[in-house]
Amino acid sequence: MIRFEGVSRRYGDRAVVDRVTLEVPGGSICVLLGESGSGKSTLMRMVNRLVEPSAGRVLVDGRDVAQAEPEALRRGIGYVIQSVGLFPHWRVAENIATVPRLLGWEAARIAERVDALLALVGLDPARFRDRFPHELSGGQAQRVGLARALAADPPLLLMDEPFSALDPGTRRDLQVELRRIHARTGKTILFVTHDVEEALVLADELAVLEDGRLAARGRPAQVLETGADRTVRRLFGEESLAFHRLGTLPAARLARPEDAEDGLPVLPATASLKQALMLMLEQGTDRLAVPAEAGFPGGTLHWADLVRAA
Amino acid sequence: MRRRWAWLLAQAAAFLLALWAAPRAEGLWRWLFPGIARPVWESQSWFVLLGEHLMLSLGAAAIAGTIGLAAAILATRPGGQRLRPLLDAVFSLAQAIPPVAVIALALPLLGFGAAPTLLALVLYASLPVMRGAVAGLDAVPPAVLDAARGTGMGRAGILARVELPLAMPVIQAGLRVAVVLSIATTAVGAVAGAQCLGTPIVTGLANGNMAWVAQGAVFTAWLALLADRALRLALAR
Amino acid sequence: MAPRPAALSARATPEAAAPPREATAVALLAAGAALCPFLLGWLSVAPNRLLSPRPAELPMTPAVGPALGLFLLGCLAMLLLARRERLLPWAEAAAALALAALLATAGLGARAALEGASPLARAMPAAGTWLSMLLLALAAGSCAAGRGGTPARFLLLSALGAAALLAAGLLDGLSVVREAAARGGEIRAALGQHLALAGGALALALSLAVPLGLLALARPRLEAALMAVANGFQVIPSIALFGLLMGPLAALAAAFPALRGWGVGGIGPAPATLAIAAYLLLPLASALLAGLRVAGPGLLDAARGQGLTSRQVLLRLRIPLGRGVILGGLRVAAVQAVGLATLAALIGGGGLGALVFQGIGQLATDLILLGVLPVVALSLLVDALLAALQSALEVGR
Repeated sequence: MIRFEGVSRRYGDRAVVDRVTLEVPGGSICVLLGESGSGKSTLMRMVNRLVEPSAGRVLVDGRDVAQAEPEALRRGIGYVIQSVGLFPHWRVAENIATVPRLLGWEAARIAERVDALLALVGLDPARFRDRFPHELSGGQAQRVGLARALAADPPLLLMDEPFSALDPGTRRDLQVELRRIHARTGKTILFVTHDVEEALVLADELAVLEDGRLAARGRPAQVLETGADRTVRRLFGEESLAFHRLGTLPAARLARPEDAEDGLPVLPATASLKQALMLMLEQGTDRLAVPAEAGFPGGTLHWADLVRAA
Repeated sequence: MRRRWAWLLAQAAAFLLALWAAPRAEGLWRWLFPGIARPVWESQSWFVLLGEHLMLSLGAAAIAGTIGLAAAILATRPGGQRLRPLLDAVFSLAQAIPPVAVIALALPLLGFGAAPTLLALVLYASLPVMRGAVAGLDAVPPAVLDAARGTGMGRAGILARVELPLAMPVIQAGLRVAVVLSIATTAVGAVAGAQCLGTPIVTGLANGNMAWVAQGAVFTAWLALLADRALRLALAR
Repeated sequence: MAPRPAALSARATPEAAAPPREATAVALLAAGAALCPFLLGWLSVAPNRLLSPRPAELPMTPAVGPALGLFLLGCLAMLLLARRERLLPWAEAAAALALAALLATAGLGARAALEGASPLARAMPAAGTWLSMLLLALAAGSCAAGRGGTPARFLLLSALGAAALLAAGLLDGLSVVREAAARGGEIRAALGQHLALAGGALALALSLAVPLGLLALARPRLEAALMAVANGFQVIPSIALFGLLMGPLAALAAAFPALRGWGVGGIGPAPATLAIAAYLLLPLASALLAGLRVAGPGLLDAARGQGLTSRQVLLRLRIPLGRGVILGGLRVAAVQAVGLATLAALIGGGGLGALVFQGIGQLATDLILLGVLPVVALSLLVDALLAALQSALEVGR
C-alpha cells in the first residue's frame, strides 16, 4: 500500500529522516514509534506531501506521490493530528463535510454521510451535528476529527499523535474505538506516536525510529524478541521489556491441551500473555482455564510456561 | 550593542552638524529653490528651536509619564478597579479627537505660545503610558502575586519589587511611544505659536517659502527618527 | 452615595444588589457635570467679535428654569440608573438627555442675556458648560465601557437632541450657531473636502496594504521591510511629512505639467492624501497580518492536510477567522484618517482644518469650534459605525 524507498529529509546539514525504506501492507495499522525529534512525523508527512523528501520516493498503491497534484492527493488521504484542528467557525457537520464539499458531493449525500460517520465514531448525530467545536470535550473533538478524516472514504489514514493530548482514560477508549473502526472499515492506517503502550495496543506493524533512522520494524512480537535492538530496549524500558513482550503474545498458544479443573479462573482464548499474568496475580493462582473457541480446542495455562515464554 | 551606540552617536553628530551648516549653506538652498528670494532661515538659531522643541516635548513626556503611571497603578489596585470604565471612556474619546483639535480648542483659553501645546502633549502622551502600564500590571501572573504574598511581602513591597519590575518592559514601550508622540505633537504646536522645529514649517507655509518648509520638515523628521532609534536602543535588552 | 437600606441588601442576592463596576465612575462624573457650570460659569458675553468675552450670569428667565431643572434631573437619573447593571443603557440615555438640556439651558440663557444688547454682542458657553459636556460624554463612555466602549446610544440621542434644538431655534443665541448660519456653504464644502481627503487616503492605503500584507504573510523578509517602512512613517511628525512631500511633488508637477490636471502639485489635496495614506499603512498592515494569523499553525496544518488550496485556506479560514481583527485595524485607520485630514489645510488641501486654522489665525473661538466639532462628530460616527459592524460580525460567528 505505502512504500518508502530510501527517503531522506535534510534541513541544512541535519538529516531529520535518513534513508528510510519501509513497506506498509494494505489494510494494516502501522505504528511509527519514536521519541520527539526522531523524524516519525516528518516521515509520515511525506505521504501526503506536506513535506517533500530530499532524496528517495514515496509510493502509494505503486504510484509515486511526487507525480500527483498535492491538493488532489491530500483529498484522497485522511489526516488526523494531535491539535485536532477543527475549524472553529464551522459546525461539527460542516467540519466533517470539508473534503466531500471540496469534492463537490451533493448536499443530501453529504448529510447522510455525516450522520453515518458520527454514529461510527460513537457520537449521537442528532446531538452533535450542529455543535461548534468549542462546545466539545477533547475526546469528542478528536472523534469528530477522525470522522472528518474518514468522510470521503479514503483507503488510507495518516494519524499524527492523535490521542496524545487526551486524558489517559479517554485515550484508552479511543484506542479501542480506533481498533473497532479499523476492523469494520479495513483502512490502511499510518499512526505516529511516542507512547509505547499505545503502539502495542494498536500496531499490526511496528516501525521504531531514532535520529531519523529506522531502528527496528516488523510485527510487535518480532520487534520485542529477546536480544532486541538497543534503541528498542531503551524506548520500552530495559526492566519492563519482558512485560511488554508478554503483551504481544497470544495466551492460547501456550495452553496445555488438558482439561481444566473446575473452579480455575477463566481466560478468553484471544487474550495476551500479559492479560494472563495480570489475572494470575489478581486471583493468586498459577493456572488458568482457557475455554475452547474457533480454531482452539481449549486447555490450561500454567505459570511455569508463561515465565519461560517471557 | 556598542557598535550600534557608536552609530547612533555618529548620526546625532551628523544631525547637529546639519543644524549648524543650514544657515551657512545659502548656495545649496538657492540651488534647490531657485525661485525663492530668501531661502535661508535666519529668524532664530536652529539650536534654539531644537532646545525649545526638546524641552517642551521631554518635559511634557515626563509629566505625562508620572500621571500615566500613577493612574495605572491606581487602576490596578483592588479598590481602583472602579476607575477602569472611566479610563476606557477617556481612551475612546481621545481617539476621536486629533491632538491639533485640542491645541486649537485650548488656544482661546490659554493664549498663543507653548501652553496649549503643553496641555495637548500631557493629555495625549499620558494615554500610551497608562495603557502600557495597565496592560503590564494586569499581565503579572496571579501565581507570582500569590507567591509574593506567601513570602510575607506587604502591598507596597509587592508593587515595588514584583509587579513593577515584571511590568517594566511594557511600561517602557509605552514611555517610548509617549516620547515619540510628544516630539511629533510638539511640531504641530507651531500652529499655536509654540517655538520648535515646526516653526519654520508653519512660517514657511504662511509666507509661501518652500525652502523654510523643507528645512523645518527635514529637521523635525530627523529628530523624531533619531529619538525613536535612541529609545529603542536604550530599551533593548 | 447613600448607603442601601439594610432590609433591601439582606433580601437581595449579593450579585443582583451590588452596583456594577461602572457605578462609581458614572456617579463621580455625573456629580461633576452637574456642579461644573455653577462653579466655573455658564455663559460668557463679548461686546463684539473682536473683544474677549467676560463671564456672565445665567439669566433665570421662565424659559431657562425648566431647562436647567431638566439638566440637573438628567444628571441625577444617570447617577441612579448606573447603580444597576441592566439599567446602564438607560443611564447612557439619561446622559444624552442631560446634554440636550444643558445645550438648551445655554442657548436660552444666551438669548436672554443678549436681549436689549447691541446686535454685535455675542454670547457663548463658558468653561463650566464646556467641561460639563466633556464630563457627560465621559460618563456615557463609562456606561458603555463594558460593551466595547463606544457609547453609540448616547451619540445618537445627543445628535438627535442637538438637531431638534437647532431646528427649533433654541440655540440661535449662541455665537457659534450664528457663525455657522453665516458660513453654511463654506462648512458644507469643507466637510465634503474632508471626507474626500480621508476616504481617498484610506482607499489609497488599503490598495497598498492589502496586496503587500497578503504577499508578506509567507515572506518574513518582505514583512520586516513593510513593517519597518510603516513604523518609520508613524515616527515622522505628520506636519513634517506633509512638508517633505511638498517639494518632490512640486518638482514632479513642474517636470510633467500634464500631471497638474490630475491635481498633482506641491500644494493641494494630492500631497495631503499621500501623507495621510502613509500613516494608515501601519494600522492597516499590522491588523491585516495579525488577523490572517488568527488561524493558528495546527489549524492550517489540518486544512492543508485535507487538501485545501492556499486560496481556499485564505478565503475559508484565514479571512473568516481574522475579520474581527482586520476590521479593528480598519476602524483605527479610518478614525486616524479623519483626524489627520485636519492638517491638510496647512498645505492647501482644504477640509475642516481650513476653518480651524482660519480660527487660530483670527483667535476666533467660534470658527475653531466650527472646524473641530464636525471633525470630532465625524470620527465618533466612523468609529461607532465600524464598531457596530465589528460586533455584528462577531455575533455572526
